[in-house]
Amino acid sequence: MINDYIFILKAVCHTLTQTSSHQVLICRNYKGDVDMSEIDHFFTLLMQQEEEGLLCPVMSHGNVHFLWIKHSNLYLVATTNKNSNASLVYSFLYKLVEVFTEYFKELEEESIQDNFVVVYELLDELMDFGFPQTTDSKILQEYITQQGNKLEVAKTKVPTTVTNAVSWRSEGIRYKKNEVFIDVIESINVLVNANGSVMSSDIVGSIKLKTMLSGMPELRLGLNDRMLFALTGDKGKTTVTMEDVKFHQCVRLSRFESDRTISFIPPDGESELMSYRINTHVKPLIWIESVIEKFSHSRVEIMVKAKGQFKKQSVANNVEIRVPVPSDADSPKFKTSTGHAKYVPEKNLVVWSIKSFPGGKELLMRAHFCLPSVENHETEGRPPITVKFEIPYFTVSGIQVRYMKIIEKSGYQALPWVRYITQSGDYQLRTNT
Amino acid sequence: MPYLGSEEVVKELRRALSNPNVQADRLRYKNYITKVIRYMTQGLDVSALFMDMVKASATVDIVQKKLVYLYMCTYASDKPDLALLAINTLRKDCADPNPMVRGLALRNMCNFRMPGMTEYIEQPIVAGLRDKASYVRRVAVLGCAKMHSLQPNTEIDGTIVNELYALLRDPDPVVVVNCLRALEEILKDEGGVVINKPIAHHLLNRMKDLDSWAQSEVLTFLLRYRPRSDDELFDILSLLDAFLLSSHAHVAVATLRLFLHLASAHPTVQADALLRTSAPLLATCGAASRELRFAGLCHVQQVMRSQPGLFGTHYKRFFCGYSEPSYIKFRKMEILVELVNDENVALVLEELRSYCTDVSPELAQAAIAAIGRIARTYSEKCLDILTGLLGLKQDHITSAVIQTFRDLVWFCPQSTAAVCQTVGACVDSPQDSEGKQALLWLLGEHGDQISSAPYVMEGYIDGLKTELSSAVKMELLTAAVKMFLCRPAETQDMLGRLLHYCIEEESDVCVRDRALLYYRLLQRGVEETRKVVTGPKSDPSMSVLTGRQEEPISEWDSTFNTLGPLAGCDLCPQTAATSAADQPSYDAEEEISLSLGPPLSHETFEKMWLDLETLHRQTLGFPRPRAAPDTLQAALQLVKIQTLAFTPGDTVPWKAYIYTRSTETLILAELLQGDQQAPGSDESLVVSVKQQPVNHMLLNLFFFFFALYDISLLTSTCMLQ
Repeated sequence: MINDYIFILKAVCHTLTQTSSHQVLICRNYKGDVDMSEIDHFFTLLMQQEEEGLLCPVMSHGNVHFLWIKHSNLYLVATTNKNSNASLVYSFLYKLVEVFTEYFKELEEESIQDNFVVVYELLDELMDFGFPQTTDSKILQEYITQQGNKLEVAKTKVPTTVTNAVSWRSEGIRYKKNEVFIDVIESINVLVNANGSVMSSDIVGSIKLKTMLSGMPELRLGLNDRMLFALTGDKGKTTVTMEDVKFHQCVRLSRFESDRTISFIPPDGESELMSYRINTHVKPLIWIESVIEKFSHSRVEIMVKAKGQFKKQSVANNVEIRVPVPSDADSPKFKTSTGHAKYVPEKNLVVWSIKSFPGGKELLMRAHFCLPSVENHETEGRPPITVKFEIPYFTVSGIQVRYMKIIEKSGYQALPWVRYITQSGDYQLRTNT
Repeated sequence: MPYLGSEEVVKELRRALSNPNVQADRLRYKNYITKVIRYMTQGLDVSALFMDMVKASATVDIVQKKLVYLYMCTYASDKPDLALLAINTLRKDCADPNPMVRGLALRNMCNFRMPGMTEYIEQPIVAGLRDKASYVRRVAVLGCAKMHSLQPNTEIDGTIVNELYALLRDPDPVVVVNCLRALEEILKDEGGVVINKPIAHHLLNRMKDLDSWAQSEVLTFLLRYRPRSDDELFDILSLLDAFLLSSHAHVAVATLRLFLHLASAHPTVQADALLRTSAPLLATCGAASRELRFAGLCHVQQVMRSQPGLFGTHYKRFFCGYSEPSYIKFRKMEILVELVNDENVALVLEELRSYCTDVSPELAQAAIAAIGRIARTYSEKCLDILTGLLGLKQDHITSAVIQTFRDLVWFCPQSTAAVCQTVGACVDSPQDSEGKQALLWLLGEHGDQISSAPYVMEGYIDGLKTELSSAVKMELLTAAVKMFLCRPAETQDMLGRLLHYCIEEESDVCVRDRALLYYRLLQRGVEETRKVVTGPKSDPSMSVLTGRQEEPISEWDSTFNTLGPLAGCDLCPQTAATSAADQPSYDAEEEISLSLGPPLSHETFEKMWLDLETLHRQTLGFPRPRAAPDTLQAALQLVKIQTLAFTPGDTVPWKAYIYTRSTETLILAELLQGDQQAPGSDESLVVSVKQQPVNHMLLNLFFFFFALYDISLLTSTCMLQ
């Protein structure tokens, strides 16, 4: 794994000449093995592959390989001349995005230009001579701050975490009120094909912590038995098995394996304690039936029926049902039983939003569009209907937090708060037309 | 843009930086320095300010220091004489009480890429290696590597190397990994860092303290270590076990690679490791980042080469999402084709069918080709779908379907009748040259079964003047000659016109020559022409082989988790780890042995078999082995012979095609028993051998191994009973 360079680039489109070029926003040369002008080949290759429709996240020119990711309108490119481990390079580039996002809220051209001093500082600490060094943004934030240009002479102490044994938490943290917020969030991914059968469905769950605790607390999380059996893959006692269970590095895995307790010293602030995936047949929580009738040269008629297939006591909030319409449609007319529908022409969508959607209810939306009499010759894809929602106080898998014990040597009382949310992940229903 | 009037800008900046009033006001001073760096980032040459910037490095403000250092590193190689002035400041900073400042100064000093730096940085680096702050040690360790890269051809400094080896025991995990990285760079010419038993076990025990990047790299370094005994091997494997399920995709994959490498003598352990990593691998295939997803898919493809069944039940995970980029969709389709079995074929085909009408023509064509691949096993269902697609009357779809038909007929002759019927009924013809060629080939090859063939071909011959592609013209010539051989009455006239045009009026020399060739051939008589033009086709007995064979893991594990599988080509396997240890040492006299090498596809084998001359034919003293095909195949692989195909069970004549490699030569062989035409083959096996390039020395060797094979075969069959 040796990156020679990390580039952050911006694509510049000259609308007049219909050619694109690029501008290097930031470039950091780590090793000096590769000439900087190599980056020009990157864009040539990118354009060429894009035209041929054969884009690939690895590109090679001579013995220089470009591994790139795209974040909004920026390209982050790592160059290497070694046959290195690709997933590691991509993970590192995404780590860069993550760190920058935590620093600047949003990673985009403006934020880089406004903070280029910090960007340079970060690039310097994240990687040296092509090898990743300190990448934990919590630790980085202790000695690289955006207030750097406030000119503080005192700001030259080495943070303890740089040399600490517990690398994810520094010592001497103080809070007036000691609290932990536990969020159990499950995202539902569903793909339903055009004739209404569920092609694939799974649950991606995560337990997130917001820790506001003083000192070096020792935490123990208790989950309900059913979940624990599923976690450890005890086939005899459960019907669900979890795949792909991941714990934050702070969890003592040996303890978990021996007596199934999840014990750890939490990182300060927000963190993801664990994540899991359950690959099971979930009944789609919001079921959509749609009829899209297209009468060429005259009109499109859309009828969408949404049904809440979850408990009557629960309510889905902020439901958004996005229905695709042809790009040349105009003069929209809507009729909805609840909520309101809006036409978003730049995305070729009708967005039907419903503030609260009780379980077991059936709602209806009709839309009518006119089509121009001149036929549109461009072929269009058939985008699926996508649904967004959030159901609080409810998890599909039935995971429950039984207890959270907090022990710190100063013996303070701390309060754990638990919240459950089920939300839509990649929730797609394909349409006929 | 700053390029205009850059001199003005530099002048103004210099004036500001040297203004004592500005220097007195720290905030203003620093703002000017920031401005310099900003111009530098925008590509403006501000190297003229070097002197003023060096002065600015004498400050207590750490951010200002960083900026000035960055500036100096950028321009040091352009202004080596001025950079020397900065070194004193930097050396002073290397002795600062604050470890942050020490580390910073040392790192930047090492980043000055200019000749003659070594003498200035050596002493601070050595001091840094023993610094009490781990932050400085981290920097100093990599500094050693940087120092070496400044003077790549000098003698390696033994004391530094020893010091680095000693620092492998450092309490700070990043220092440990940096040591490995630095040693690897410094000792590059000697094969990289040496991993002996104590180091290997030390690293294994430190694994859990390392961050994920370091874990990945250590796992790669460990590829170089060979355990002394099986006990040690299993100890190592159990230490590594937890990392197979690491939450970081790159660690999990790196662990799997190490597992496969270490357990190369224990296939069951390898299979178990693959089974257990299948879940994390699948998870990567659904990762939020599409590049990681892509890498995951490439890894799955490699694993499937040995364990095709591993992901069978998870085929739905490889259905494409609407918004996924096409490089992911292409890979997913390739995987879906491999995963098809009796249970899921209907759903997979339905899914692929929906991709055939995708907006992107490349994707649609790939989906059609994928259905064509499945058609080799499930012809009927696929043919229905493909025929249905022709009804859409979209040019790119029609063309892709016709091309798929062509390949299908070649690989799967039993579907010929159905294809011909469809092609005959199809009214529109493809518009692009690829599609035209495919249609012409079908007409020529199977003109006897397509009633409308001569009329379609006549259309092409009439439109010859407007045809631009010479490839289409060549195909047209061949097809017309073939058609003439089976339907002379209908074709004679248009063939004459075609030949006349191609010889007299055509401007492309290749087409002209081809036409002349056919003309002269036809002059020699129809029978003579038939012999040449309708030569041997694909051997129908080969059709048993459509199912892909399981390859041994050793075929691909050396490229696993590198760029190779992602880029879709074989990059030079120069991964740090394998280059040193796995290179077999060649003795002075070249040793000849057989090796498996990369597998041959059926198409290439067939082509080579038809092209090459039989070098040697021999009747062996024993009848054909009666073992089950997979036993036979396994036994042959033990002696490094790959099996391409067998005729099933007790068919007469019994045939098998095998191949192997030795240094540069590829050896192909056919085993035959019970063929009426080959004398002596009714009782014992007849072997025909072909080689490319010919190497007579290897011939004897081959038979030596062949005798071996007979023995090994006997033992393996005995073991089974």
